[in-house]
Amino acid sequence: MAFDLSRRTRARRKLPDSPDNVRTPTWRGHRWSLVDLRLTPYLMISPFFLLFFVFGLFPLAFTGWISLHDWQMLQGEQRFVGLGNYADLLRDKHFRNAVANTTAMLMLATVPTLLAALGLAALLDRGLRGRMFWRTSVLVPNIVSVVAVGLVFSQLFGRDYGVVNAVLDWVGIGRVDWATHRLTGYLVVAVMIMWRWTGYNALVYLAAMQSVPRDQVEAAVIDGASTWRVFWSIIVPSIRPTIIFTVIASTIAGLQLFAEPRLFGGGTLGGDDRQLQTITMYLYEKGFELFDAGYAAAVSWMVFLLTLLCAAMNFSFVRRLASSE
Amino acid sequence: MSARRRGRGRWAVVVVALLAAGCATGGGRGEITITVATFGDFGYQQLFREYEAQHPGVRLQPRISEFDPHHKSLVTQLAAGKGAADVVAVEEGYMPQLRQSFDKFVNLADLGARDLQSRYVSWKWEQGLADSGKVVMGLGTDMGSLAMCYRKDYFQAAGLPTDRTQVAKLWPTWEQYERTADRFAQAKPDVKFADSSASIYTAMLNQSEEGYFARADDSFIGDRNSNLKRAFDTAARLGTKGQTARVSPFTQPWTVAIQQGSFATMPCPAWMLTLVKNAGGDQNRGKWDVTTVPEGGGNQGGSFLTVPRQGQHTREAYDVAAFLTAPEQEKRIFLDTGSLPSEPSIYQDPGVVGKTDDYFSGAPVGKLFASAADGLHPSYRGLRDSVVRPIFGAALGRAESGAQPPQEAFMQAVTEAKTALK
Repeated sequence: MAFDLSRRTRARRKLPDSPDNVRTPTWRGHRWSLVDLRLTPYLMISPFFLLFFVFGLFPLAFTGWISLHDWQMLQGEQRFVGLGNYADLLRDKHFRNAVANTTAMLMLATVPTLLAALGLAALLDRGLRGRMFWRTSVLVPNIVSVVAVGLVFSQLFGRDYGVVNAVLDWVGIGRVDWATHRLTGYLVVAVMIMWRWTGYNALVYLAAMQSVPRDQVEAAVIDGASTWRVFWSIIVPSIRPTIIFTVIASTIAGLQLFAEPRLFGGGTLGGDDRQLQTITMYLYEKGFELFDAGYAAAVSWMVFLLTLLCAAMNFSFVRRLASSE
Repeated sequence: MSARRRGRGRWAVVVVALLAAGCATGGGRGEITITVATFGDFGYQQLFREYEAQHPGVRLQPRISEFDPHHKSLVTQLAAGKGAADVVAVEEGYMPQLRQSFDKFVNLADLGARDLQSRYVSWKWEQGLADSGKVVMGLGTDMGSLAMCYRKDYFQAAGLPTDRTQVAKLWPTWEQYERTADRFAQAKPDVKFADSSASIYTAMLNQSEEGYFARADDSFIGDRNSNLKRAFDTAARLGTKGQTARVSPFTQPWTVAIQQGSFATMPCPAWMLTLVKNAGGDQNRGKWDVTTVPEGGGNQGGSFLTVPRQGQHTREAYDVAAFLTAPEQEKRIFLDTGSLPSEPSIYQDPGVVGKTDDYFSGAPVGKLFASAADGLHPSYRGLRDSVVRPIFGAALGRAESGAQPPQEAFMQAVTEAKTALK
């Protein structure tokens, strides 16, 4: 890359009408400018890589190192146990429970969120009055602090004094103990995620929809296609790469689900039956409540591997889509 | 060229600014700052100002956070070797865990703490020791002798006596407390009798000599301690009969339940009164009263002031801790906030014994808590108490909500505890 760049730049310097070329550089200056040309691009991109090393790669590697030890937060490293923590983890039913909970909430939240976002984007794509206002306001839920969202929804879905239960009671359905039961708990967490992320994803879709060639849409309309047909046959296929991106992004965010179920489940256990405990909550319980750093590090590496697995699955899916086109 | 010179000028500005910032945090004129980290309000504000007035050159900086974050950040700060305050409060429940890392704290005995031993009731002093008594890790602040808070108005509506001596006679034992709950439930079904199974369980457990671990050898006895089983069964029975409001103490629903008056009784350690006042607000003034708890005794909570070794000014930090825990100060804190001192000279003080609380219908809280303090034997907490406590708590929660039959929940807790302790 850098070699290409410098050669191209040098070629440009030889242009006779370039004012720079009128003065012949001294030999020393020439060599300095060569170094400059070769090194500068690396220097320019180095801040990201330096930060990535310090805050990304190093913690990742160090966490891996910790996970191979019996390591207590306070007493420090006790002894090397190899893959012992991972072996325990695979037999740990609380960990399996956390993985199942995370997956369930992830699915329950992501699919409706993305569908709703798609619909919302289609609406925003039309010539609305006060377009800017609508487009901006869908983003508002996303900038509200997640803790505030968790607290407000926990109160809305409160067992004794929650608004939702008051309404259900009033229409005769009766009160629901949302947080105690697994499925209703999932549902509330999914609602919180939907509330926060639908608008954001809608804006991403909207941006993609704006770049769909209008002539294709118009041609389809002239051929007599309905709005519905145009949407599913022209617009959605055109923004497929964007949809894939949002699926990957939502999956990664979902695997790190923490604040919503913790606030709603009333603690790191996620309820008395661990019914709402996600993987990151389990990590927190082990690391910061029981102070077992080694085991918590192993959990966090499992989160990393799970994320890689999901990304790889999505990637192969994208490749297959691309080749089918 | 000129651009380059300007660039250099800017660098100089930045460097000077950084140096200035460094000096500012260092403090000028040889003044030192001692940070004091507590969870919740310990009632120290006024005392800090007095201490600063008496000790020119020392500035006291409070650092107040919530219970859980306070202790968790202490552990990470100790692990990292920096960031901890100079004086850090540690609650009794966290002491066993931290006692294993006594080397991260200053041995206060080296600074003369043994002279203070005579201030304290013996068990409180012993709870602050580590390394089989060789290390003085913390100076005791308050303790939590138990009483029972009850709603007078609901008792009247249910046809029960309302006078606190009469109410005390309703429940000399927990079995009689349960029978009172049955009577109450029949007469006033729209109000629950207790806040949660958890708080009854905790109170009963704190009254027994041993909990999950044996005092003799620190082995796990949760599966065969009859006191623990009795506490679990009694608390779970109240829950399954629907006589608890099912709100975990200190949570948001618990606060709302106090405000709305969803339940009639709650075990109250001394420090709990402030929480009830804050949650209940003015509209509930005079509706509560305080009486003795079934079977008496029992300590719940209470804290210690420690000095982490990583501090810059451990000597001065110790002086501050010794000042804050001195009887004169502890007495004022009790009169201000109601936190019961762990020093006998104070709870025999007429000013303390005579204290009443208007919010709780003028209950003689001084006498109630001080007399409970006399016969108090703290329950033994094992070194790994914090590992098994949440497991049994969750099991009781499952029993209370009806998600699992109590016996099954208990058996599951025993199995899980044994696995966790391996």
